[in-house]
Amino acid sequence: MKTLRLITFLVALLVVNTNEFYPQKLTGFQIMEKVYDRPEGNDMTSDLTMTLKNDSGDERVRKIKQFTRDFGTMEKKIMFFVSPADVKNTSFMNWSYSRQGQDDDQWIYLPALKKTKRISSESKSDYFMGSDFTYDDLGDRQPNEDSHKLLKEEKYNSDDCYVIESKPEQLDYMYSRTVSWVAKDKWIVLKKEFYDEDGDLLKTLTVKKFENISGILVVTHTEMKNVQKNHQTIMDLKNVKIDSGIEDSKFTERIMTRGL
Amino acid sequence: MKRFLVFIWILLTSGIYPQSLDFSGYLRNYSGMRAGNGNTDFVILQNTFSLNMEKNMGGSAFKINTMLYHNGSANDSILFKLREAYLDLYFDKFDIRIGKQQIVWGKADGVFITDIVSPKDLYEFLLPEFDEIRIGVTGIKLNYYLGDSGFELVWLPVFNPTNSPEQNSIWYPSSGLNLAAAPDLSKQNVAASLKNSEIFLKYSSLTGVIDFELMAGYTWDDDPAMFFSMTPGPSGISLTVNPEYKRISLAGGSLSSTLGPLVIRSEAAYYFGKYFNTANPATDNGTIVKDYIHYMLGADFMLWNINFSAQYIQKAIIDYEPVIISNNLFNGQYSDMVTFLAKYSMLNETLNLELFTYYDFEFDDSLIRPRVLYDYSDSINLQFGANIFTGEKGQFGQFDKNDMIYGKIIYSF
Repeated sequence: MKTLRLITFLVALLVVNTNEFYPQKLTGFQIMEKVYDRPEGNDMTSDLTMTLKNDSGDERVRKIKQFTRDFGTMEKKIMFFVSPADVKNTSFMNWSYSRQGQDDDQWIYLPALKKTKRISSESKSDYFMGSDFTYDDLGDRQPNEDSHKLLKEEKYNSDDCYVIESKPEQLDYMYSRTVSWVAKDKWIVLKKEFYDEDGDLLKTLTVKKFENISGILVVTHTEMKNVQKNHQTIMDLKNVKIDSGIEDSKFTERIMTRGL
Repeated sequence: MKRFLVFIWILLTSGIYPQSLDFSGYLRNYSGMRAGNGNTDFVILQNTFSLNMEKNMGGSAFKINTMLYHNGSANDSILFKLREAYLDLYFDKFDIRIGKQQIVWGKADGVFITDIVSPKDLYEFLLPEFDEIRIGVTGIKLNYYLGDSGFELVWLPVFNPTNSPEQNSIWYPSSGLNLAAAPDLSKQNVAASLKNSEIFLKYSSLTGVIDFELMAGYTWDDDPAMFFSMTPGPSGISLTVNPEYKRISLAGGSLSSTLGPLVIRSEAAYYFGKYFNTANPATDNGTIVKDYIHYMLGADFMLWNINFSAQYIQKAIIDYEPVIISNNLFNGQYSDMVTFLAKYSMLNETLNLELFTYYDFEFDDSLIRPRVLYDYSDSINLQFGANIFTGEKGQFGQFDKNDMIYGKIIYSF
């Protein structure tokens, strides 16, 4: 009788803890959800420097001061262009919504015209300030906008990574597929390849540096290379502050026009 | 003038200015040649220095914007313009701006419907950049904020009319009237006084669904009314024209919103009491007072990676009478116009191709402005373009002989 009880107990223990002893393998979608849901803090302030390099080695530099705040159902972002001189004091504001299918609202303030203009956020395939990043590359693409497949697991540099292939649900999307190397313990995309509509490699994004700032992992140095044009954009984030308590009033037309 | 230049030079080179004073601006060379109709004269040989001096002190700020024009095609003349010089005071819920300032209202591009606080400088017609067309006005602007909405109150103690080109300029406009004698300008001044001041009020809101503005103004018509007087003399009756600025009021608004890939824009104003000229100079000095509506419907969109913008603009005289005679801006009861803009960027936005066009249905005249812009570096921008006028009459057709090609080199700092 005692033996029977022991067997029953052991079987029950096994049934209860199967998932712990043998964790279910994550799907591609679950991995990309974890990337999307990675904590980013309630607000962030940073100085962004974009260095654009063409195939002749000529460099152009754009400097931006940016503020982002999560308002729960929406995220607001405001950017002030510091250089080059001809775009100085231009500002850009974006309100993005967590509700699926709701387009972002975007405005640009042009100091020469002294006008705040509403612009369409539909053209996410537009390149941001002549860089190799499209507006879509810079935003947080929702996981359900693509179908994801776990291709393999491998080391990238010193990090164990999942390699995920993502194909867009939308037929006329600018990329036919992307392949991401996701660090297993950090849920950061360390490398991403973008393939054009013909299936050829178009761009490669590599994360060169990330830092732990106020308990949040922040990517502070990335490089995007367009292999077809041999053009490159290097993005550097400096003076990053997380959860510094940016006021609601920062994200208004008043501040867009007044500037920093 | 020389003293001013010396002052600026010392300021820039001596390092005596406060360290946190922010300097920016540009140096521009602008050359234009008339083309077509056998003309090859260089009508524009201009060097321009624009200097902004700004300082932000947290709760307050100031800005000074000066422009220095050297005109090589006009005996090396030098013209200094103080475009803006103002002080900002920032409070929790409101801001105050005092001084000479440019004020821009409305959602229309290239047309002025509710955007009438700052008058226009038409020394070179509508060809300069829009920030150069607007004249800074001296006054006080108060903004009171309610989240993403707010009120703006503007009080201008001094009236500034449209700045017209000199009579010998190729941009001197035709009045649209058959005048035998030069106008008598003795009544053209409006003295700076409390009674003659202008006041404007705007309520605006920027939301996720729609941006809109509602405005009203008690102002002066920027363009003078033409009063005719008939004087009997030994050789018969002589006709004199007395331009005189008259009061005008308006109320209007504008809005913009997105509809899928489209940005929809609209703007409208109702003008109360505009003086029009009549074919009968013996009655009311050849004038009649009417209200009119000025409105715009427009859309911005992208197709084939080209940014397009189109606007339809109409002016309609209320209670129209056929005795009203046409001028360059009004031709009959309705005046219809469209504008069209196409912009294409390439080479990582270093090369931009642009086409902007006005077309007026009433006069069948237009202004076509193709332009190529190239960023040679982060600081140097090169531009080549043309201004093509078509038609014979109207605000564009009157300059049919002024077709022009031009080039600009701009160094920004």
